[in-house]
Amino acid sequence: MILSSLCIAYAGLLALALAMDRHHEQVFARRPSARTSRLLGWAGWLALALSLPPAVMAWGWAIGIPAWLGLLTVAAAALVLLLSHAPRAALRLGPVALVCAPFPTLLG
Amino acid sequence: MKDGFRQSMAWLHTWSGLLLGWLLFAVFLTGTIAYFRQEVTVWMQPELHGSVPDAGTAERAVERMGQLAPDASQWTIALPGERTPAVSVSWRPADAKPNDRAALKRATLDAGTGAVLEPRETAGGNFLYRFHFELYGMPRETARWIVGIATMAMLVAIVSGIITHRRIFKDVFTFRPEKSALRSWMDGHVAAAVLALPFHLMITYSGLLLFMTMLMPWAVDLAYDGDRQAYFAESGFRRAASTPRPAPQTAALTPVAPLLAEADRRWADRGGVGSLTVTNPGRANATIELRPAESDSIGRGAATERLLFDGVTGQALEAPPADPQPAAMATGNYLMGLHLARFAGPGMRWLFFVSGVAGTVMVGSGLILWVVKRRSQRGRAENWAAGPEPFGHRLADRLNIGVVAGLPLAVAAYFWANRLLPVGLEERAGWEIGVFFLTWAAALLHAPLRPSRRGWAEQLWIGAALFTLLPVLNLATAAGHLGNSLPAGNWLLAGFDLTALAVGLLLGFAARKVGRNAFARKSAPAPVLPAGAVVEEPT
Repeated sequence: MILSSLCIAYAGLLALALAMDRHHEQVFARRPSARTSRLLGWAGWLALALSLPPAVMAWGWAIGIPAWLGLLTVAAAALVLLLSHAPRAALRLGPVALVCAPFPTLLG
Repeated sequence: MKDGFRQSMAWLHTWSGLLLGWLLFAVFLTGTIAYFRQEVTVWMQPELHGSVPDAGTAERAVERMGQLAPDASQWTIALPGERTPAVSVSWRPADAKPNDRAALKRATLDAGTGAVLEPRETAGGNFLYRFHFELYGMPRETARWIVGIATMAMLVAIVSGIITHRRIFKDVFTFRPEKSALRSWMDGHVAAAVLALPFHLMITYSGLLLFMTMLMPWAVDLAYDGDRQAYFAESGFRRAASTPRPAPQTAALTPVAPLLAEADRRWADRGGVGSLTVTNPGRANATIELRPAESDSIGRGAATERLLFDGVTGQALEAPPADPQPAAMATGNYLMGLHLARFAGPGMRWLFFVSGVAGTVMVGSGLILWVVKRRSQRGRAENWAAGPEPFGHRLADRLNIGVVAGLPLAVAAYFWANRLLPVGLEERAGWEIGVFFLTWAAALLHAPLRPSRRGWAEQLWIGAALFTLLPVLNLATAAGHLGNSLPAGNWLLAGFDLTALAVGLLLGFAARKVGRNAFARKSAPAPVLPAGAVVEEPT
């Protein structure tokens, strides 16, 4: 559950970062079109919203929300460090995180 | 108008952050370690490292209590768990008053054998925990006021910081270590602040709430007519314990194994039984109360479910009702419980720890930024030739060295003292604390004697070495070293060693970065501040 939430949150934050000109350039060396930027933004917020339920399921509302915010912190810290030191790796980790997200929950 | 407002907010952010920043850095650093204070204490008591719990631990502990304190009016047995490997027991002698906590006798038992352990006297993680809100060596109330005021300054700095840096949410993913010193420190400061912003707000606000009755006692004085004890009793902060008088007839205690089995089944998702309280053991009216290892609420224990058994027949009795809490109290308790991570399992505890590290980095980078910014302004104005760096800037820089680099150094020295001071030393815990403060004082004195970058590099290197070598020290002085703890899956002890190693490597990385720059910019060394020198600020 916890790892699922973390994976989805990372993917969401990555999409949000790629929706911004500066970080899009960091990864792709060009600016995103307005359409791409908008799509990435929507996808990012959607993923962030989806990362909340696993945390709440694992911990309940009272503890789940602070825990979820803590997970966002960890995911964002990883993203910031990867973007500045290894932008391609930051990008590749996104799909990997999304694909892996269901497994921790399914495996229990 | 708007610019004027944001400028005044920037001013507020700068000065509320700087003036109490050094204290706040110490509060954040020691408070962050305090999330693992029990684990730290266990590491600092190698005598407990050999204690391995098994299925018979609770029964063994009860049996041992029958030998240790047969006449006591109450036994409390805290079973080992994820955070401690040994059994801590306490008992109330028959002639002690019910509410006299000082009369309680305590001991530590080996979970595997039931033998009484004699752990070394240590201030443990508790010293760092206490220091983060009560400092040391001054009246408790005074220290709490000082930390309380610093906490208010922190809240002011957070809110004014959000207003000042309107773009922070846009810049949140930005970190450019290759850019100028000013740019990269700013990026780091903003990232540490924004990434964990909910945590920073929560921890600061709830920190003030914990001081609530001290900072603003008038509400309680008004409602309770000055009787604060009545307020504490009613709000569940302090529960009055009442124990029934021991019956004159003696009776053997029922075997606890069946009771524990039932409770473990019931609390399977809450870590099983965490503690037993036996009231009037050996008497006809004995009772056994069980509590789960993990509370189901993050408020102060009041609502925790308990199981009560007749101590002679083993029959289940009607458990004392979980004290109901008024909603307002529950809300306050929720925030305070969050601050203390009262509810947290290991995963949550690590999340809080990481957020606490972010807070420490935020305060530290803010302090450094103040100096870097002023240096860059002087550099740009080609003011280097205009005279030595102003005294205020140099003072702030040297204080930064002594606190931001010096405090981690002192914490490492504290852990070393724990292992190197003789075990039988009188006032041993006091000596450990003495080593901590002496090391910190040495760091603060060392800073003004060295050129700025050298001072940074030297203190960071020493801190790095002390932390990196802690696992080696553990190997040399205790059985719970990585060679044993990792194969046994003992994450309590391995976690400490691995974290120390990681902190050491990070400090070394920082030292290398600062050191390299120190050589690269040798042509324009920062001026040395002679001890006690007062230099007039250029106007």
